[in-house]
Amino acid sequence: MGPALTFTLFILFIAITLVITFWARANTRGTDDYYAGGRAFSGAQNGLALAGDYMSAASFLGIAGIIALSGYDGFLYSIGFLVAWLLTLLLVELMRNAGRFTMADVLSYRVRRQPRVRTAAVASTVTVSVFYLLAQMVGAGALVSLLLGVSTDTAKIVTIVAVGAMMIVYVMFGGMKATTWVQIIKAVLLMGGTTVLTVMVLSRFGFNLSDMLGAAARNSGHAGFLQPGGRFGKEVAGDPLRTLVNKLDFISLALALVLGTAGLPHIVSRFFTVPDARAARTSVNWAIGLVGVFYLMTLALGFGATALVGQDAIAAQDPAGNAAALQLARALGGDVLLAFIGAVAFATILAVVSGLVLASSTSLAHDYFGHVLMFGRPRESQEVAVARFSSCVIGLLAIGLAVIARHQNVAFLVALAFAMAASANLPAIVLSLFWRRFNSSGVVAGIYGGLGASVLLVVLSPVVSGKVDPVSGRSLSLLPAGVNFHVFPLENPGLVSIPFGFLCAVLGTLLSDEKVDPERYQELSVRSLTGTGSHRAPARRSRRRRRDGGKKTATGLRHPEGTQTDTPQGDSP
Amino acid sequence: MGEARHRSAGAPRGWYAGLAQDRRFRLLRTRFYRLAIGIVASFLGWYFLYIWLSAFAREFMARPVVGNINVALLLGVLQFVSTFALAWRYSRYARRMLDPLSEQLREEAAAMEAEREHAERLAAERQRIESWAPPRRNAAHRRTREGRS
Repeated sequence: MGPALTFTLFILFIAITLVITFWARANTRGTDDYYAGGRAFSGAQNGLALAGDYMSAASFLGIAGIIALSGYDGFLYSIGFLVAWLLTLLLVELMRNAGRFTMADVLSYRVRRQPRVRTAAVASTVTVSVFYLLAQMVGAGALVSLLLGVSTDTAKIVTIVAVGAMMIVYVMFGGMKATTWVQIIKAVLLMGGTTVLTVMVLSRFGFNLSDMLGAAARNSGHAGFLQPGGRFGKEVAGDPLRTLVNKLDFISLALALVLGTAGLPHIVSRFFTVPDARAARTSVNWAIGLVGVFYLMTLALGFGATALVGQDAIAAQDPAGNAAALQLARALGGDVLLAFIGAVAFATILAVVSGLVLASSTSLAHDYFGHVLMFGRPRESQEVAVARFSSCVIGLLAIGLAVIARHQNVAFLVALAFAMAASANLPAIVLSLFWRRFNSSGVVAGIYGGLGASVLLVVLSPVVSGKVDPVSGRSLSLLPAGVNFHVFPLENPGLVSIPFGFLCAVLGTLLSDEKVDPERYQELSVRSLTGTGSHRAPARRSRRRRRDGGKKTATGLRHPEGTQTDTPQGDSP
Repeated sequence: MGEARHRSAGAPRGWYAGLAQDRRFRLLRTRFYRLAIGIVASFLGWYFLYIWLSAFAREFMARPVVGNINVALLLGVLQFVSTFALAWRYSRYARRMLDPLSEQLREEAAAMEAEREHAERLAAERQRIESWAPPRRNAAHRRTREGRS
């Protein structure tokens, strides 16, 4: 009954979201609609969608599993994921005011050689998105075997393809409007499901947190289950160097988590779906509230799973602990709750991958096609068509890669995506907004330097080769035991690659003889702080009037990019 | 290409430089920078203090506070509390000290922009009237095209 119910609930979710997708298809006309949902979402709606984009299956299932198996250290992930939002809160209004649809809009605003900057931004957006996508889709394949109990290869492939196909449908047809509603529904479901689980767990212990922790610690049998050190920064007796490396690795992870969020493409593209900067601030505040409450609840999920299910049972189902939340659901509410939580997990994956595909196809169509190939003057209808097409291509690419990598443990890709976002995108964003001398060579050097460093360091790290289980002799890396070319000791590149990204951006600027236009910087700083001339939501007019009277936005006309950025178009209410 | 190349279509040179020199804008910028630096310093400092304690001061973190709740858990939950508090503080400050200034500047800029556009339209119209010449027979098609634009 369990799997059938999960399946029914999931089909229900898909049916509802498909209806929304077709509604969105009928209401999507130009680039503003396709990329930014017409900039008509309220702060609260966009806040829910931001939270929906952010709370991936990796955090729902993964963190609960890490807490259940390694104790306190899973909570360190939760904290990093939340604290990062403060940086986002500080940047969101500036980026909303200065940009139009993508990060590249902000980066290229004040520089001379736009195509180079746009191309670099596209490269990093697509790379980060594809790595993150891959982690999520492979996770979907693993989830089906946990839920339905079938671990056949075919089941995994079918799941990956099905999730991928749905994601392509949402993004291709519905654009930002459909994707945002998918996120909102998913965020409500996920918050609801997690709250139900948390309340049920706590009620088992008379709502006494201390009792729950005590039961979890007793059940785990570890002495230090409630203290840091179970998983990150392990102390190796008699090997101070190894201990230090482990601790640096942990600090490196913490750095990437806290600095990566503000540069994640699917988060950045959501800044532009609200009418103005104030609504963008409201939406990030909503996201902070939702994400904070959610990550606090992961404590109850993880420790509750240890206390009520037991570590042996969790590890038996999945050695990485990804099944902990599902097993907890079964222990608390039987097959019905398991089915519900399973459907929520699928919805979670589906929503996150849609957001990622949308962000990367937006970047390809708007930045690469629109600004590099068409010199900033494509027809709006052309650009949307290219966006739809590239979402299909990226979706198929992700499906293909995920099917190939379906047996690998690719959870490290999430941390890698954060590290790449922090080392490639963050320096470019921050320096563009705040450094007068920053120029296009700096942007390009910073993006490629940060991106290259993080990928290279991971390839040379124990994640890819050379990490061997000392007891069984099995390989813990991506490549089989015996292959060993790891040079870099840390598994998380952030500690090196983030400063390196900043350094490249600064050196690239200082070493080039490119002149900067000081007025362009003044313009950016005036616009980003005051919102003068920003792209607003169209004033509340009926669609028909807008289409008839809106000379500037009607599809099919030449894309009035220049006039749009400089004169407020159709926005002054 | 794109936006950078087409500025001439919108604001004239010096327009934004003038705004950037405005006292109110400089006040706005100073306030924002001060606020942002304060918030970044406090949350990053506090977060990395917590991370450092988790990595290097484990005996301290393991100390029990109430029942099974130890220092590590307490500090972890305090990270949540501080995040909420800083977000609230930023939003309150922005609402009170930044929004009124930016709104004022934005509205003034929009008004000036509208005035400028109006003046440009007038000048263009004037140009068109002044350069009007009596119709010649062989230029009939040109006249109709002009009339439409």
